[in-house]
Amino acid sequence: MNATTKIAIENLGIRYGDAEVIRDLDLTIPRGNIFGLIGPAGSGKTSLLRTLNMLSVDIDRATVHGKLLLDGTDLLRGDVERASLRRRVALVFATPQPLPGSVYHNLTFGPRLAGIKARSDLDHLVESSLRSAELWDEVKDRLRRSAFALSGGQQQRLCIARALALRPEVVLLDEPCSGLDPISTAKIESMMRTLSAGLTWVIVTNNTKQAARVSDRAAFFLDGQLIESGATNQLFTAPVDPRTGDYLEGRFG
Amino acid sequence: MKWFTPSRAQLLARLALWAMMAVALFVLTSILAFVVVRGLPHVTWHFLSQPPADSGRGGGVLPIITGTLQVTLLGIACALPLGVGTAIYLVEYTREGRLTRAIRFGSECLAGVPSIIFGLFGFVLFVLTLGFGWCVLSGGLTLGLMTLPIIIRTSEEALKAVPAAYREVALTLGARKWQAIARVVLPAALPGILTGLILALGRAVGETAAVIFTAGSNLPHRALSSLFDGTRTLSVHFYQLAREGISADNAYASAAILVLAISVISLGSSLALGRFMRRYQ
Repeated sequence: MNATTKIAIENLGIRYGDAEVIRDLDLTIPRGNIFGLIGPAGSGKTSLLRTLNMLSVDIDRATVHGKLLLDGTDLLRGDVERASLRRRVALVFATPQPLPGSVYHNLTFGPRLAGIKARSDLDHLVESSLRSAELWDEVKDRLRRSAFALSGGQQQRLCIARALALRPEVVLLDEPCSGLDPISTAKIESMMRTLSAGLTWVIVTNNTKQAARVSDRAAFFLDGQLIESGATNQLFTAPVDPRTGDYLEGRFG
Repeated sequence: MKWFTPSRAQLLARLALWAMMAVALFVLTSILAFVVVRGLPHVTWHFLSQPPADSGRGGGVLPIITGTLQVTLLGIACALPLGVGTAIYLVEYTREGRLTRAIRFGSECLAGVPSIIFGLFGFVLFVLTLGFGWCVLSGGLTLGLMTLPIIIRTSEEALKAVPAAYREVALTLGARKWQAIARVVLPAALPGILTGLILALGRAVGETAAVIFTAGSNLPHRALSSLFDGTRTLSVHFYQLAREGISADNAYASAAILVLAISVISLGSSLALGRFMRRYQ
């Protein structure tokens, strides 16, 4: 266990009933880094992402075995409190999912559950997380308006701001830009770069160009197996496994 | 058959459907209009504010209105938490299985049982076995049983209609399961649950057979009965006045109050729901 390691995965398996979607996975995700999970549809990368905050276990009824260490604590040991785990490891879904209610309500939902009650603290959290998500200037005059009134790109940045308002250590992004325009995508990528010093990002993306642009390290999955992982520029310029090169260059299948 | 062209068939279908709609609308409005026209002239302040006199030939219906409200509200107060709780359990805490199918089948059977059977059951259980006698309590509990399936069913549908994503989002933001239900799922399902509540209210307030056996048909003389006082609801009052030939005018006046009250409940609640939806979204 290394001081720069945020998440260490050892011999991890994820299954839904009889279907095994991740097999024998060993992977290390360093802190303060942007980590890309890439691979074709059905390769298990989203299942892995949803397991990093145990959502797959609670919602999709996945069974997980092996070791999943966050700062050295095994999340699969059963004594880890899920609600506080999810504040440490936040997740943003592929499609923007605002909750009904105002922009302000969306941003303060998590912090209130965490016990933050004082109005000034909440106001401060709202502003700082919106600034981090590069959304403050666009919504500062309509914090009390419905979150559904925002554009798709704004809604997704709101969801990221909502995750940041939890003051997380890790943010998981599940194809966060799949339905977004290039400008919103660019804003999200620049935000990730800006915040990567104090935060660990894990991003699932089907867009290999995005993975190349934004991630420091990446892992390539195929049929539930890790094919290879390493520094992104090395993975993209000199992949060890021929299948990685085939996928990254679009010569697949 | 040359005249039967597609465009004529179109016209014919349209005319036939319009006629059906017109007949249905006519029947429904004439029932309402008949009751209101016959009854409304006799609905005076005196009638609304006085207790009945001379078996209902004279006086008013104040204690009958309050008795109706008491029995109805007691029934809803029992059925609402039970029904919503059952629905939450079925939708949020179980997977589709033998148990949920059994509960659903049971509540659907219950919804189809004629109200007089509920009356009989309530009579045997509350009036005789538990010894409450004919009273507000027996009537209210019986109405609670009767409206329970409606509330379960509508609440269940309302909860199922809440997007699964809301639950996932709440969990990812650090909510425990119950917090996610209480703070996100229930508010989103509230309009549907309220619709079911209003349906149940409408059925309960106009119910006759189930309450005549349980709340009784004695004329109340106090405006506010105790839980163990016998009472008479508006629909039972109408039934007694009409059947015994006591006073057709007062019977229609009572019916008009009932019909108007139900209309006001429906209208008011749909307005309130509309406002709520606009604010919530």
